[in-house]
This record gives sequence, structure tokens and C-alpha cells, in this order.
Amino acid sequence: MKSIETEVLVVGGGATGVGVARDAALRGFDTVLVERKDLAEGTTGRYHGLLHSGGRYAVKDPQAARECAAENVVLRRIAADTIEDTGGLFVTTPWDDPEFGDRFVRGCAENGVPVEEIEVADALRREPALHPKLRRAFLVADASMDSWKLVWACARSAHRHGARILTYRAVTEVLRDGDAVAGVVVVDPRTGDELAVHARLTVNATGAWAGRLTVMAGCREVEVVPGKGIMIAMNHRIVNTVVNRCTMPSDGDILVPIRTVSVMGTTDSPVRDPDELEITQAEVDHMLEEGEKLVPGFRSYRALRVWAGARPLFGARPPGDGVTGPRAPGGDTRDITRAHALIDHAERDGVGGFVTITGGKATTFRLMAEETVDLACRKLDGAEAALRPCRTATELLPDAENGYYSVRSRLAAREENLLDDQLVCECELVTRGTLEAALERRPTANIDDVRRALRLGMGPCQGGFCTYRAAGILHCRQQLDQAAANAALLGFLQERWKGVAPILYGDQLRQARLDDWLYQGLLDVEHLPA
Amino acid sequence: MRADGTPHEVVVVGAGVAGLVAALRLAKGGRRVRVLAKGVGATHLTGATVDVLGYSPERVGSPAAALPGFVAAHPDHPYARIGIGVVDEALSWLKGHLADPRYVGDTGRNFRLPTAVGVPKPSAVVPQTMAAGDVVDGKSFAIVGLPALKDFYADLVAGNLALAGDGIEARAVPVGLDLDGRVDVTPPAYARRFADPDFRAELAFSLRGRLGADEVVGVPAVLGLAGAEAVWEELEGRLERPVFEIPTLPPSVPGLRLFDALMGALRRAGGRVVMGAPVVGAEREGNLVRGLYTEAANGRRYYPASHVVLASGGWAAGGIEMDGSWAVRETVLDLPVCGVPAGARFLPGYLDHQPLAGAGVAVDRSLRPVDGEGDVVLANVRVAGATLAGAEPWKEKSGDGISVSTGYHAAVSILAEEG
Repeated sequence: MKSIETEVLVVGGGATGVGVARDAALRGFDTVLVERKDLAEGTTGRYHGLLHSGGRYAVKDPQAARECAAENVVLRRIAADTIEDTGGLFVTTPWDDPEFGDRFVRGCAENGVPVEEIEVADALRREPALHPKLRRAFLVADASMDSWKLVWACARSAHRHGARILTYRAVTEVLRDGDAVAGVVVVDPRTGDELAVHARLTVNATGAWAGRLTVMAGCREVEVVPGKGIMIAMNHRIVNTVVNRCTMPSDGDILVPIRTVSVMGTTDSPVRDPDELEITQAEVDHMLEEGEKLVPGFRSYRALRVWAGARPLFGARPPGDGVTGPRAPGGDTRDITRAHALIDHAERDGVGGFVTITGGKATTFRLMAEETVDLACRKLDGAEAALRPCRTATELLPDAENGYYSVRSRLAAREENLLDDQLVCECELVTRGTLEAALERRPTANIDDVRRALRLGMGPCQGGFCTYRAAGILHCRQQLDQAAANAALLGFLQERWKGVAPILYGDQLRQARLDDWLYQGLLDVEHLPA
Repeated sequence: MRADGTPHEVVVVGAGVAGLVAALRLAKGGRRVRVLAKGVGATHLTGATVDVLGYSPERVGSPAAALPGFVAAHPDHPYARIGIGVVDEALSWLKGHLADPRYVGDTGRNFRLPTAVGVPKPSAVVPQTMAAGDVVDGKSFAIVGLPALKDFYADLVAGNLALAGDGIEARAVPVGLDLDGRVDVTPPAYARRFADPDFRAELAFSLRGRLGADEVVGVPAVLGLAGAEAVWEELEGRLERPVFEIPTLPPSVPGLRLFDALMGALRRAGGRVVMGAPVVGAEREGNLVRGLYTEAANGRRYYPASHVVLASGGWAAGGIEMDGSWAVRETVLDLPVCGVPAGARFLPGYLDHQPLAGAGVAVDRSLRPVDGEGDVVLANVRVAGATLAGAEPWKEKSGDGISVSTGYHAAVSILAEEG
């Protein structure tokens, strides 16, 4: 077995993991990150795309509100090009208690969340699709954020500062050296190749999966409850401002405009296995019904896709367990704090060289990373040594200097090479040149990896044309042998189907049958040789 | 108007294969016929092969041999409704009306024609320009790739073809056939260029000396729109080898040719076609439809009808739809839709048999729509093509077979009624 050595090993390639890797690399630690699948494959890549202002938590979860408010300002600076500055509205619909607005404003004021009540007429002028009988409206600093772009920007930055980012490396064993964790053994699920990564400190940044790694490390399992949330992407910018119901957080109370779609979110129910997130008809119906309350006629818009993510919710726990961070009651997962938890397993379990960072939000990922690497400094440099200063709040991520993303910019970018490059995915404007460059950077990428990097196949036709083209291009670049090319094609069709089947109605049902016509009727993919 | 005040005209709704076949058969039978269509039919999506029955669920070698058992097992299938004798009759009749290219084959034996992923797909009646692709053991294929065509990957075709039978050899032969330096060329744009003799010669020249003695040559189906048969013959002559076309992703050139051939034949036979005219309502009297309303840029118009052939398509073409409250309707005449599952509409596996797929309009033996009790709902309406219940065309590989034979049968049934 091959082996490598490092100072800091991060397990998990979501926002938290790459955030820790970047922070550690910027502070001069030799850093390795391992991820079992692709970056942002888990919770980070499956969220609604909301950069919180803190308003959502102003009444219920003050600490989360304060952290979000502060990090909102930081991320707008360091990751501007992953953010569209949509602004946010909290609105009181006819189904909501207008009194809650007063508690909301008070909570915002107490927790540093900028808010301004505006006339309902102004809110409706700004967002004409909203329910005409709104009673109150409040403006906040919500925005939409592209989590894939964010994660890749962090990974690129970490890489530039010497970090090694290893995707498709699943942990099979946690190495122990006496009372301490000494690294992990990982396997590449595609090739079976094993690699031992020896590390002075191992950071468990596996989010909703954190319990598993702590058990593998021989610690008491950390109490992370995967909280399932479903989201529906509607094929329109129904709104251009993030819109929240001004109530206690509930199902289907947020509509986030991001890129060419609007994402309706979300639900919250505890599940046992974050890899098994079933989407039920009842959940979809419930979300569409709630959508009608924000936007009358919501059901008649074209629904593109539904998916589920697993929030890492750090549950109720006894005092004195080595955890820094807030306490929260157990029970309903919506009552669990959205603030994060940092666990030093030396204190909690008597196991050195091992820390867990979990809970939290995409909005607070940088703060979580900062606190984690602060702890890493104390553990690796010694408690007496001067803390290496954190630079992630000020150092811009790559491309942040371009300023905020605008939904129009993708058309402008395409105009530049309109005649020089083949359009492989018409919906998301992905060209063959972009696709081949992405494959050049990541020779082992499959079609789904390409999707996360380029948004290939994420538009209205959900891969109707580009699945075939991407399979053809991957195959003829000799990156895939015949069996692998066929498997990639079928795998991508299956992956797309999973997300459309529960919401097929109207034009999207028509589209799906059209895609079947192409793949089953015209190409006969079900009889591809295995 | 006839003596009793009823109009002569049969109105066909939809300009896909089913609608155009019905209209052409009616016109040839001496009826005045008018096609009302929202737009061009789904012909442009198909490979234009007439697949009668390809899988049941095992691969079908001979549709003629398999159909009796198939309809016995699927009594609600359109083939069972019309009777399998109609299928052969309809196909023979259709072949007699298609000249460019001619169609070959019958239900006695399925061709196995390579798709654009290199899977041999069973098809009964196929354009002459595709027939040489029939996949049999021991055959050698050279698959031509055009770099600016993003809807066809010769390597992928060849790679899978090589696995399609014993002793089959297949390889990709890329050619640099330049089209004004363009990097993104659609299949119809290539096809139009094949009207140019120099361009045709250039393709042949670029393949000279690069082909093995025993190889048959597969090319993406872009060998011309009008005059395709001549283009194909010329290429076979120049290469001195069998040449066959492989359908690309849409817009499909063979589909465009089929559409043009049917439209041309229909117009020559005196049929009229109104495009861009979605039907928005019907005038009813008892269980009869007296006429249809369309709405287009020039306003609302009324077309009296003695009979109606409804060939407005299924889910993919918008003939049947489901709204955001999961309610299903037939979109033109609001006919009863049967086969909508009470439970799960879709199963988790993409390639599973999807419960909703067979939903559609149920009909009697002359293709008149019936309700849940089996009673005829509208006595002078016939339903043809993908609107019909009981089939899974893409799984069975039966789409155009159903469209041709039910379109034909709808017409014959109306002609018979007139005596």
C-alpha cells in the first residue's frame, strides 16, 4: 500500500472540509483532504443556494443568526462571484400572523441582522408574482450562492497553497497510534487502489456522516442527526429576490432565485441514513401547496427537479463532553440549533489527534473552518505558542475580484465564442471546449462530476441531448472504455431520472417522455452491452 | 355540404405519422380531408424506421410470428384493437407511397439497425438508405464520423457494434468534411449541403483508400433531404461498398424526409394542411362532433367535419397531459383517459416499466373512443397513434408501427362507413 504523510488531514469534501483545508493551508500547515466521492457531492451540493442574512434564525436561534449575519458580510467580500446579490424579503402572507413581524424585527436588531420594513406595495412592485394580499414585508441581506463554485474556489485556493485534494477516496480504516488517531486508509472505489494517509491531526468534516467516522476512530459516536430537506427547482425566475415567509421556520417557506431557476425549500425531518433520502409524493405536494401561498399559481409553473439534502444537526448532549458551542434541546430536528459544534476527541473520548467539526450552515462554513484550524494550531503548535493568524476572512477566493454574479453574465460569456465552439448543453450553455478543458483538469471525471463542475444537464431538458454528447466526447477522448462509457451514460440517465420522477407533471412530464423517446425509442440504450 | 346538410370533409388533428397516414389514405380513398396541426409532428424526432415490434420483452426476430402471441397477452394494445392483419396491409400500402427514399422490409423479419450508440435496434420496415446496416454475425463495419456534428459519435457506435455479435468488427473512420469552417453543424445543415455534387464527391474522396474490402460503411443520417436515395446510391457507387445511414439525435434528417414525403403525397392527392392551428374547441351534437375550432394568429376559425381523426400524439407531443394537481386529460376533445395508475405513476429505475406509460385513450375495434364501460363516447371520431392507450412504444419498439397501422385503420374505417 502506498502511503503519504501530512500535518493536517481533512476528511470530507463539502464546504466545511474544503474550508478547513484552505484555512490550514493558508496558515502554513501541510494539508491533505480526502473525499469519498466528488467535492460538494453531499449536503453542500444539495442545498437551496441561500446565503443567509441571519433573518431566518433571528427569532428562534440567535447564535445562528449572529453568525450568519457576520459571515454574510465576509462571504460577499471573499466569494463575490459565487453570489448573486438578490437581496431578501420576509413577507407575511394571509396565512401568517402579522404580530410575528414585530418579534422578527426585534430578533434582527438584537442579533445584528440589518432589516427594514417596507410598504407591501413596494414589495409587490419589486416581486409582482407574490401573493397580492401580503400584509407586511421586510427587506434583508439574503442572497443566492452557488455552492459548487464556492467549493471549487476554496479547493483551488487550498491547492495553490500546497494542499492536496484527493477525491474518490473513501475511508476504510482509521489508523491509531496508541491513544491517538494517526491518519486513515482510503480506497479509490473506482480502481480499488488503497492509500495510507498519516497525519498529526485528523479533522472529521463529514457533516451528516460524522457519526460513522467517530466510531471508526474508536470514539463514542457523535450525535449528529441527518435532517432531510427536500427542494424543488422551478424552471423560472419566479422571483428575483430571495423570499421567506415571515413565520417560525417551517416547510416550504423559502423561495431562492439562483441562476435561471427558483428553488423552493424546504422540509425538515430526521432520517437514519444520510445516504437514503427518499422523497415522497406527500412531501412534494406539501411543498407545492406552500408555494401557492407565496406565489399564487405556483403549481402551474414548470417544476424541473426535486432533490433532498441531509443537514448535519448536532443533537442534544450532556454537559462536560469536550464540546465547544451552544447547547440545544432534542426532539424535532427543526428545534436543533443550526449553529455548529467543534469536538476535541482528546477531551471527550481521550483520543488524541482527532477533532470533529459538524452542524452549521453553508453560510457559516468559513467561521467553522477558522475555529477548527484555531484548535488545530493549539494542538499542533502547543497551547502556549502564538496562534497563527487566520487569513480567510480577508483573502479573496479565486475570481472573487470579478464581483457579484449576474444571471445575465452567462449569455455574455457565450457571445464571445459563439462561432468558435460547439454547444454541448444548450440549456446551461456548456461548450465542447469547456467540457474538454474540465476533462483535461480531471482526467477521471464521470458525467456527473462534469455536471457539478459545469452544470451540464441541469436545465429544462435534464440531459435530453447532452447526456449522449457527453458520453460520446468522454469515450472518444479515450478516457472511458466501452463498458465504462455505457455505464456512464446509463448512470447519468438514472441520476437525472431520480430527481425528476417525483415531480413529473405538465411540461416537465412532456419533456421526460421526449427524453425517453430519444434514449429508449431512438437510441435503444436499454440494450447497450454491459 | 351533402344533401343531408353534413359536411363532406374529414378533419384530421395532428401532422405526425399517424395523422398524415390517415389523411393520405382518406384522400386516396376519395374523401375531402383537411389536417389541422399545432405544428409539425414528432416525425422530426424519429429515426423514420417503422418499428413494428422489437421486444416482447425478449428480442423479436419476426414480428409476424410474434404478434399473435403478443396481442393475446396484451388485449388492450392498439394492435389487438385493430387486428394484426391490418398491420401488414398498412405497411404494404405505405411502402407504395414512399419513393425518396424507398422503404424495404416487412413484418416477416426485423432488421437490426445500429443506433447512434451502436445498439442494433429491431425494425421491420426501413428506408432503403439504412438497410445495409443490418447487424449479422461476421460483418465488418466502418463508421464515418463528422467532427462538426455533435449529435453522432462514430467511436461510440463502433465500440458497441463490435460487441453486438460473433465475429463483428467495427471501427470509426473520422473525416474532416469541412462546412465553411463551422464547428457546430446540425444534421439538416449537413443534409442540405449534400445537394452539392462537389460536397458529395469530397466525402467519397476523403474515404478513398481508407476502407477495408469487406467493410460496409455507416454514415450519420445526413445524406441529403430531397433526393436522398440518389445521394446514397451515388456514394455506394463511388465507394464500391454497401453504405447505410444511422439516425442522429433530432432534428432527424430521415424524419424530415418522411414528413416531406407524406406531406407531398397528401397535397398531390388533394388533401389540405393547416399548420400553426391548434384545435381549441369542438362543436358537439349528441355523441357526434360537428366541427372543430382552431385559434391562430389570424383568429378563431371553425372547420365543419363529417368525421374526425384524432392523432394529436401522446405525452411527448402534448396530446395527453397531466397538470400540477396530477389530473390527466386528453387535450383536444377531453376524451376519457384510461390506464392512469392509482398508485405510483413512476418507478425509481429509469429503465423500469413505468406505470403511467400505457395511459391513453381506449377505443373500440374501429378506433372510436370509449369510456370506462366500453361505450363509444363520440361516434364519428377515430383515434390513432400515440394518443391510444395500452402500448409502451419505446419499450416495445412499436411506435411508428402503431402510428402507421392505426392511422391507416382509422381512415379505412371511415371509408367503410361511407360505403
